[in-house]
Amino acid sequence: MMMRSLSELWIFFWRDLSIARTYRTVFVLEAVEALFGVAMFFYVARFVDSPQLQHALPQGGSYFAFSLIGFVFLDYLNAAMDTFDRSLEEARDSGTLEHLLVTQTSLPVTLAGSAIYPFVAMTFRIAVYVAWGAILFHFPLRDANWLAVAAVLIATLLAFSGLGILSASYLLLFKRGNPAKWFLLGVSSVAGGMLFPISVLPDWLQFVAHLNPVTYALDAMRAALLGGAGLRAILQPLLVLLLFAAVLLPVSMAVFAWALRRTKTTGTLMHR
Amino acid sequence: MSEAAISVANLEKSFPPARSGWRALLQPFEKPSVVALAGISFEVRPGEALALLGANGAGKSTLIRILATLLLPTQGHARIAGHDAVLDPRAVRRQLGYHAGSDSGFYSRLTGRENLRLFGRLNHLSNAAAKKRIASLATQFHLEEALDRQLRTLSSGTVQRLSLARALLHQPRVLLLDEPTRSLDAIAASEFRRFLKSEILRSGDTSLLFASHTLPEVELLADRVAVIDAGRVLACDTPPALKHATGAPTLEGAFMHLTGRAPHLVPEDAPE
Repeated sequence: MMMRSLSELWIFFWRDLSIARTYRTVFVLEAVEALFGVAMFFYVARFVDSPQLQHALPQGGSYFAFSLIGFVFLDYLNAAMDTFDRSLEEARDSGTLEHLLVTQTSLPVTLAGSAIYPFVAMTFRIAVYVAWGAILFHFPLRDANWLAVAAVLIATLLAFSGLGILSASYLLLFKRGNPAKWFLLGVSSVAGGMLFPISVLPDWLQFVAHLNPVTYALDAMRAALLGGAGLRAILQPLLVLLLFAAVLLPVSMAVFAWALRRTKTTGTLMHR
Repeated sequence: MSEAAISVANLEKSFPPARSGWRALLQPFEKPSVVALAGISFEVRPGEALALLGANGAGKSTLIRILATLLLPTQGHARIAGHDAVLDPRAVRRQLGYHAGSDSGFYSRLTGRENLRLFGRLNHLSNAAAKKRIASLATQFHLEEALDRQLRTLSSGTVQRLSLARALLHQPRVLLLDEPTRSLDAIAASEFRRFLKSEILRSGDTSLLFASHTLPEVELLADRVAVIDAGRVLACDTPPALKHATGAPTLEGAFMHLTGRAPHLVPEDAPE
């Protein structure tokens, strides 16, 4: 059973990789886009950087490293929240959704399988950003703890996949929009520590930031990548992220199954 | 007597009324009040081909989609090879192949072979079994050339044959076709019917339930015809028996007699 599910997950990954390979130039264009993004953050940082600012950053170091991690990581969260409803929307629009649903593959495997390639591609994209930063703009990588970085990525992915599946359920029921995503990304851009540390926020916004999983994900990622923190040092934010995942994943799967059942009742599965 | 391939008993289906504007947000939660099926019962025997003949909106597609586990009935039972479509949908999906003429439901950037392989694997065929089955179906359906071309480069007739091949990949006992020739031109539709008759129905291994409002299609393929109107089966018998019972010289005449109104059907000599 386990082997069969793994094989099905692989076949979804293979599907998306095969489709992506037919758009080869996109890889090149995205790498160039990443270069421009990194360069922009480097020069903004050069403009605003000062000893006082560096002192105010949690891991010390340059504002360039701080802001670049905030920027690419928020992109990662965006992908985690986007990938389920985007693959659902594509399947609905191309007419493949019905044909996927009449196969013998279970719904959780279909959902998880459709998310693997976007997550792998996004991780690769982050790697390209960091690589450009390291090669051309002295992004500090020598202290990075890669095991801790991988743990943060996986915990973040799990925590935010639940939200992604919830937004796919919303899409299934109401056909358009993703309010949870825009709300969370909106809040996170202010109260998540993306481009500035949350210590500069008023107390009530700091309270909001501490309820936001993005804050924990970014703290842990910066600590692991810039400060070289090991698993033990980032245990607390990791546990918070895993707690989010433990609550959100089963709830979101149940909500999605209910939403699917509802659309099978109302006959709106393929409506746009 | 052997178990019915398809068994439908007192099947009812109602949908919530369609809404627009902000009221559309309430639609998933509205009570179903628009009747699509009003208590349908019939059986399809193993190896038999039964046509659902009715005007647009008669309930043909709704019935097929309930059997395909894509819709949930309001009341009654729908069984395929003894498995209930509501209580045991995965067992039902093991037994059925589904093909809708209104959309191809393929990945346009993948080749025919890649598409078939994907759906074969999701129907629990091993890699080797999927390869073998694809090769065999490609020969049978004259699809050898289409296998290594991207879907977007194929003609609609070829895509329909490919879709039929997909429905048969896992050797289902029951084939559900929803207006299979709907998007084909007259020549392609005629070839498709001949092909269905000679390659699928001749063997007697597969039971077929298909919806159509194309009379030549019904007369060529069906052993029996269920005339449906306003969600009810008005009559279910062989084409000669229907003509005899109504005293009509043609199936079109029998349909008009039974439904008591001019049909939106394609007469035998009209182009499709």
